[in-house]
Amino acid sequence: MFSRWMICGVALLLMAAQARAETIEEKVQVCAGCHGESGKPVDKTIPTIWGQQAGYLYIQLRDFKRGDRKSEIMQPIAAQFERDDMLAIAEYFSQKPWPDLGQPRAPKDVAEKAVSASRSVGCPACHLDRFQGDGTVPRLAGMGRDYLAKTIADFRTRARGNNPGMSDLMLATSPDDLAALVEYLAGL
Amino acid sequence: MYVKGIAAFAAALGVGLLSGAAIAQEVKQEKQSVLGNANVSPVTQEQLNAADKSTRDFLLTNGNYAQTRFYPGKQISRDNVKNLHVAWIFQTDVKESLETSPIVVDGVMFVTTSFSHVYALDAKTGQQLWHYAHKMGPITVYCCGPNNRGVQVLGDRVYLATLDSKLMALNAKTGEVVWTTNIADPELGYSETMAPTVVKDKVLIGTNGGEYGIRGFVRAYDAKTGKQLWNFHTIPENSVGVWATKDATGRDMHRNIQAEKDMLAKIGDPYAKLGGGVWQNPSVDLATNRIYFVVGNPSPDLDGSNRPGDNLYTNSLVSLDLDTGKYVCHFQYIAHDVWDLDAVSPTVLVNVKDKSGKTIPGVIHAGKTGHIYVHDRKDCSLIRFSEAMVPQENMWVLPTKEGARMLPGANGGVEWSPIATDPGQELAYAINLHQPMTYHVESSAYPNGKLWLGGAFKVIPGEKQAGNITAVNYNNGKIKWQVNTPEPMIGGILATAGGLVFTGEGNGKFAAYNSSNGKELWSFRAGAGVNAPPSSYMVGGKQYIVVGAGGNTQLDYKRGNNIIAFTLD
Repeated sequence: MFSRWMICGVALLLMAAQARAETIEEKVQVCAGCHGESGKPVDKTIPTIWGQQAGYLYIQLRDFKRGDRKSEIMQPIAAQFERDDMLAIAEYFSQKPWPDLGQPRAPKDVAEKAVSASRSVGCPACHLDRFQGDGTVPRLAGMGRDYLAKTIADFRTRARGNNPGMSDLMLATSPDDLAALVEYLAGL
Repeated sequence: MYVKGIAAFAAALGVGLLSGAAIAQEVKQEKQSVLGNANVSPVTQEQLNAADKSTRDFLLTNGNYAQTRFYPGKQISRDNVKNLHVAWIFQTDVKESLETSPIVVDGVMFVTTSFSHVYALDAKTGQQLWHYAHKMGPITVYCCGPNNRGVQVLGDRVYLATLDSKLMALNAKTGEVVWTTNIADPELGYSETMAPTVVKDKVLIGTNGGEYGIRGFVRAYDAKTGKQLWNFHTIPENSVGVWATKDATGRDMHRNIQAEKDMLAKIGDPYAKLGGGVWQNPSVDLATNRIYFVVGNPSPDLDGSNRPGDNLYTNSLVSLDLDTGKYVCHFQYIAHDVWDLDAVSPTVLVNVKDKSGKTIPGVIHAGKTGHIYVHDRKDCSLIRFSEAMVPQENMWVLPTKEGARMLPGANGGVEWSPIATDPGQELAYAINLHQPMTYHVESSAYPNGKLWLGGAFKVIPGEKQAGNITAVNYNNGKIKWQVNTPEPMIGGILATAGGLVFTGEGNGKFAAYNSSNGKELWSFRAGAGVNAPPSSYMVGGKQYIVVGAGGNTQLDYKRGNNIIAFTLD
């Protein structure tokens, strides 16, 4: 864990070079340090961005830059980008294949509980069938379990402040149901 | 097709778990447009004006400008509907929620799918003539599925509004793009799922976004050029209204008027981010040159604390002058709504009896509340409302942090689903949902175009959900007949001069009922949710019924990608 964060941190030292980056490959070089060379994040609390929806990635970069979403690591990185850069980076990663993190499928009883909870507040209305996401709504299927758990917890405390609608929905769902959802989504 | 092939091959090899990537592509296939040659005759304004009398064509989303969804052909009747069988099935390239109303012009059919694709088909054989695959911008923001409800044709152009909030004209013969106009900024929560209404060289369009703090509108664009002609804000700069304490049916809404007035003094009129989307087509009164439509919920849906006042014209029937877009009249069903029990199902123009029994031009709307409201077309005033078509309970309890139980649930009653009418029988046919829910409130500041519910509406797990098809006499408000269905209903319904109504269910059942008594006369299992409004038309001397079977995102009904046409032998 510590060593991975070190690697992640070292990668961030590339940020100085980032400002002078011109090609898309140069611009995204810094991302691999944390989000993984092959799309598998180096730490379990870091989200998968390979194969993620472009609109969602753009909005997150935009919100990091605006300060609507907080992260000591991501805010300074996003601060260097203009809108067109963000759109290009988002498009770049959205075209990459979604990595298989090898997470097991949820047992049947857990899956049933998760599906019931998700229908109760209408998750598929935005995240769509099989939680593939679209546009500015992220894919959740196969996302890292620890990242999902942390994000949901952060929505509930509003520490993740850039989508109050999600906070509302997570607050209306019991922790027990949310635990089932995490396991279910990670295993999709 | 390539991706489907790979998936099938993997399955054949006994590969148990397909990768997520393969699944994703099956749901949303990236396809290129295929230009073609549809031998379609130009549609004139005269044809559109007389659409209610045409048995050959189905020219408007809801059949005609009055939006009666009453098809005047009667080749398919109560006597022979049992012999109805599949004429053809067309499989689209998009396996997602299907809400399209098929449009038919002289043997050519136009259907749309999720993600704003358009297909031209041979209405007799189902053969694809062309396919427009919209290249979606990266930023789309929508609440209830990537739906599209259809197109309209005028002249030799097909008009389409897209999920990334563009208005487009396509060449009806080839599928080529003629012009594109940006309607609004999707990054601020604007999107399009409705079909445009085209009349007198104007393309009328509303907007989605009531869940994202938009300022709603209905606009007219020049059909030839795409240039905006007028804009009507569904939220006026003075949105406060009359501080109504009761809803249209006279029930107290438990508003704290003093607290609202204090908030108004503090923050001013909240009109700029007050929502008020328009989900469905306006009806057009050709005699008076007026349009009638309903406006959806205020933003945020469940938290009224930062939007003092009646929140005009949310949850209202509104009428405008067609030429200028100027306000004519309105009627608000629920002032300061905090339940999202808004107005979404399209309006219908029919002659109705007023309170004295005199027949006058009326306009009716089926609400999420489960009532059908009957209005005087002259001034929008309410004449009567029907018996409730679904269970109502605890109205209007205010949402709480822990959740307050109230019926109907936030989907209705009648959702966006268009109703049908049979003026000869004085009946309106509506499909309904029954979903017990708790209403939860949370407060947060405007989130810059993100989801802004102000809480949550939560289906109560374990409680029985259901649906129904209900026939209401709009001249006395009484329910004439009702058919219960095992699941909540969403999609639409069609009435025909053959004495029938056709509608579908989320479990894949598509059926015909006797329009006088609700007796089921024929049914078919489509294999995916039938959650789209049916259409009817004639080609080669035969009447067809056509409907999309693609399931529904909002209620998570089984997805499919079929357009299915039925006829008699």
